[in-house]
Amino acid sequence: MQLKNTRRDIKSIDLLPLINVVFLLILFVLIAGRPSTNHPAGLEVARSTIQSAHQGAALSVWLKQDDGFYLSDVKPVTLSELTDLVAQKGIAAQGLPLELIADRRATAKQLLAFRRAMAAAGIGEIRLKTELTGEAAE
Amino acid sequence: MQLARRQRRTGFMGLTPLIDMIFLLLLFFLLGSDFVTYGQSRLAPPRGTGGETSAAPPVVITLSADGALSWNGARVDAAFLRRETAKLTALNDEQMMVLMPAGSANVQQVTTIMDALQASGAQSITLERDVFDIDLADF
Repeated sequence: MQLKNTRRDIKSIDLLPLINVVFLLILFVLIAGRPSTNHPAGLEVARSTIQSAHQGAALSVWLKQDDGFYLSDVKPVTLSELTDLVAQKGIAAQGLPLELIADRRATAKQLLAFRRAMAAAGIGEIRLKTELTGEAAE
Repeated sequence: MQLARRQRRTGFMGLTPLIDMIFLLLLFFLLGSDFVTYGQSRLAPPRGTGGETSAAPPVVITLSADGALSWNGARVDAAFLRRETAKLTALNDEQMMVLMPAGSANVQQVTTIMDALQASGAQSITLERDVFDIDLADF
C-alpha cells in the first residue's frame, strides 16, 4: 500500500505578525525599564521598604563588599582623597548632597567612617542608595 | 525625444535585515534596562534645617551586630522601637533620632532600622559612631 505524501508545501511564511510582536516587546521594555545604573559588578545595594524618589547627587561614591571606597568601578579612593575631592569641587560650599552606593554586606564601620569624614568636610546630607523591595512597591 | 521610462521592479523585499535589526534592538534594551526601582535613605539630614522644636533631646538607638536594639540604653525590640518612635514623632515631628550601629553590623541592618524609624514618622535621623559625635547642627 502506498501512503499518501502529506508533506506540506511551505512557500512563504508571513513574517509580519512576528515583527509586530517583537516591536511590542521593544515598546514594553522601553516603557517598563530604564537605562541600567552603572553599578560596579557584584554590588548589591541595601533593600528598603520605604518608597522614595531617587535623586541625583553631586558625587556618587561606591562602598563595595570588600569595605573599600571607589569613585568608579575600578578606582579605589581613600576617605582623605574623598575629602579633598569634595573641597576641590566645592560640594560642601554649595550645600549639595552626596550619594553613597553601598553594598548591603559592607560593614557599618565604613558607613560611619564615611559619615564622619564627610561631616568633617562640611557635607550635611548623605543619601544612601537603596533598592525598593516588592513589599513596598505594592 | 521620448525618454525611456524606467520601471522599478517591486518584487519581494527581503525582511531578514529588518528582523535582524529589531532583534538586536530588543536584545540591547533587554540587557541595558533595569527593572529595579531605586530609592534613597538619608544617612544624615541637611545641616541646620531643624526648627526651634528640634532642640528636644535626641533618642539614641544602638544596633548590635546580632540585630539587638537598645533605646537610650535599654534593650528593646523592633515593635517597641516603632511604637515609641510613632508616639514621639506625633508629639514633635522633628524629634531627633540618632542611630549608632556596631561597627560589625552591616549596611542592610542599618537600612532596615532606618526604614522602621522612617515608617514610624521619624524625619530627623542621623547615623553616629558614638554620642560624642552628635552635632546638633546636623538637625
